[in-house]
Amino acid sequence: METLNTDISNYRNLLKHYIEIRDEQSLYGAEQLSKMFIKNNVPPEEIVNLHIQALEELYPDVPEYFRHSMNFLVEIMITYGIAYQENYSLREEQSQLKSEIAVAANMQETLLATTKPETEDLDIGVVSAPANQMSGDYYHFLEGKDNSIGIAIADVIGKGIPAALCMSMIKYSMDSLPEATMSPKTILKNLNRVVERNVDAGMFITMFYIQYLPAKNKIRYASAGHEPGFYYNAETKTFEEIKAKGLVLGVSPDADYREYERTINKGDMVVLLTDGVTECKQGDRFIETEEVLEVIEQYSDLPAQEMVNKVYKHFERMQNFQFRDDFTLLVFKKEV
Amino acid sequence: MDLQSCVKIEKEWDIVKARQLGRDISREIGFGTVDQARIATAISELARNVYLYADSGEICFEQTDSLEKKGLTIISTDTGPGIQNISQIMDDGYSTSGGLGAGLPGVKRLVDQFDIQSEEGKGTEVIALKWLR
Amino acid sequence: MDLKIDITEGIGKSTVKLFGEIDAYTAPQLKEKLLPLTKIERNQVEVNLENVHYMDSTGLGVFISALKSTKENNSELRLVDLQDRVLRLFRITGLDEIITIDTAIRGGNN
Repeated sequence: METLNTDISNYRNLLKHYIEIRDEQSLYGAEQLSKMFIKNNVPPEEIVNLHIQALEELYPDVPEYFRHSMNFLVEIMITYGIAYQENYSLREEQSQLKSEIAVAANMQETLLATTKPETEDLDIGVVSAPANQMSGDYYHFLEGKDNSIGIAIADVIGKGIPAALCMSMIKYSMDSLPEATMSPKTILKNLNRVVERNVDAGMFITMFYIQYLPAKNKIRYASAGHEPGFYYNAETKTFEEIKAKGLVLGVSPDADYREYERTINKGDMVVLLTDGVTECKQGDRFIETEEVLEVIEQYSDLPAQEMVNKVYKHFERMQNFQFRDDFTLLVFKKEV
Repeated sequence: MDLQSCVKIEKEWDIVKARQLGRDISREIGFGTVDQARIATAISELARNVYLYADSGEICFEQTDSLEKKGLTIISTDTGPGIQNISQIMDDGYSTSGGLGAGLPGVKRLVDQFDIQSEEGKGTEVIALKWLR
Repeated sequence: MDLKIDITEGIGKSTVKLFGEIDAYTAPQLKEKLLPLTKIERNQVEVNLENVHYMDSTGLGVFISALKSTKENNSELRLVDLQDRVLRLFRITGLDEIITIDTAIRGGNN
């Protein structure tokens, strides 16, 4: 409040000038002053008081009724001022929270980091973007001694911080799997037990696990209630849904998973995604699956990473750069 | 002004009586219009808590003198339900709830020193001090 | 978007009619209303979803909680009249195999 004295004379001079000349320049000065009050966190009742003081200095014969009315205004402003200060401190708190979450999001990125396998066989592209700062989507690569490649894509119920916390658990369970060459159904069964033991009722995770077996030119996969992926047949240039049925992780302790297998040929492509992709909206309308596939096909000649980037950019724009849910899209093409 | 002056809070009208007494005393001490208004608002919040949530209670005032300054101390005591989680109600986000203690963060903002003690089932005591600038 | 919850309670049976969207914002209200019904011993709880056009995974979470509660309290949970989009969600997640879903009225699209 040391600035108050200069404020008074400032305010008084400006007010005097305005009352005498009523020019735009003094009003511009008022605007500047107002910004300075905000910057110095001057409460509104203090400003009204400043006005009273300035007025009394300029016009000592201010009518009594007018003086009373200004005191009335001071009284009105007190509670208003409290609310203003409260908002101010909530804003501070909010920016503190935001930076804490930014740190957590960074940590999450480090925690959940996985390395794309270096292989001649597959061209892999993946993009994963949280709706807010932290993600409840997850993908993970496992490389087996037999050169098999395992790919997991998962989505935890809800989004944001609770979802992110839950996802760390999956990461550690996957890291502690005894062997990367385990079959998809065994991996899901294992994870289901961990999740079921560690989450509240009503919490669950969906996961699709797919394994590429280079020696056999085959893929085998199993799904724990995950959004179905798509298989692109290069020869017929058509997509088909990868049907796999299984219960979400974390609901029933003794869930069993069915495993499926199919041959994969050169040029064929597998598309895995989370519901953040399929639940994109155009205006008020949910987009149809075919529309997702059309966009993917449009870029299917590009290298996998470029392709998913383009598809992501397409939907990002369609959603006005604000996704409702975490968005993960993973594509791999068989190169040989 | 060495003695405490108190107002018992039983009816809503008593809130106005407490404000009036607090304002008179703060004027005598020498507080300006804005600080008088702040003190009155703080008294309102404290008295309203007593009126709405406690069986009985009172608001007392005393002049406080230190070596170089003087001020007004407002003491609110009641035999109400008490406040279980003081840090929760002193949190800014809580004030919109309108429940018991909702106005207390505001009171804290309006004065220079603020202290609260509460025991569940027994009652609450709030001491608020405003120095004359 | 809001969710309206109409509950009719009979003897040994409760019917819950829902109108609107079930998402992260409305799911807590639904949970608050639905769970107590499943806690009544031997109660048959029927949830009509005819007027629910959108549901996300948090909505599924509420029904999983309700299902677990029916197991503890010998009550029953039955979902009827699901919109195709909502039904698809139960099918994908495999929850249609552990929750009783009556599609006879709408037929659904298999």
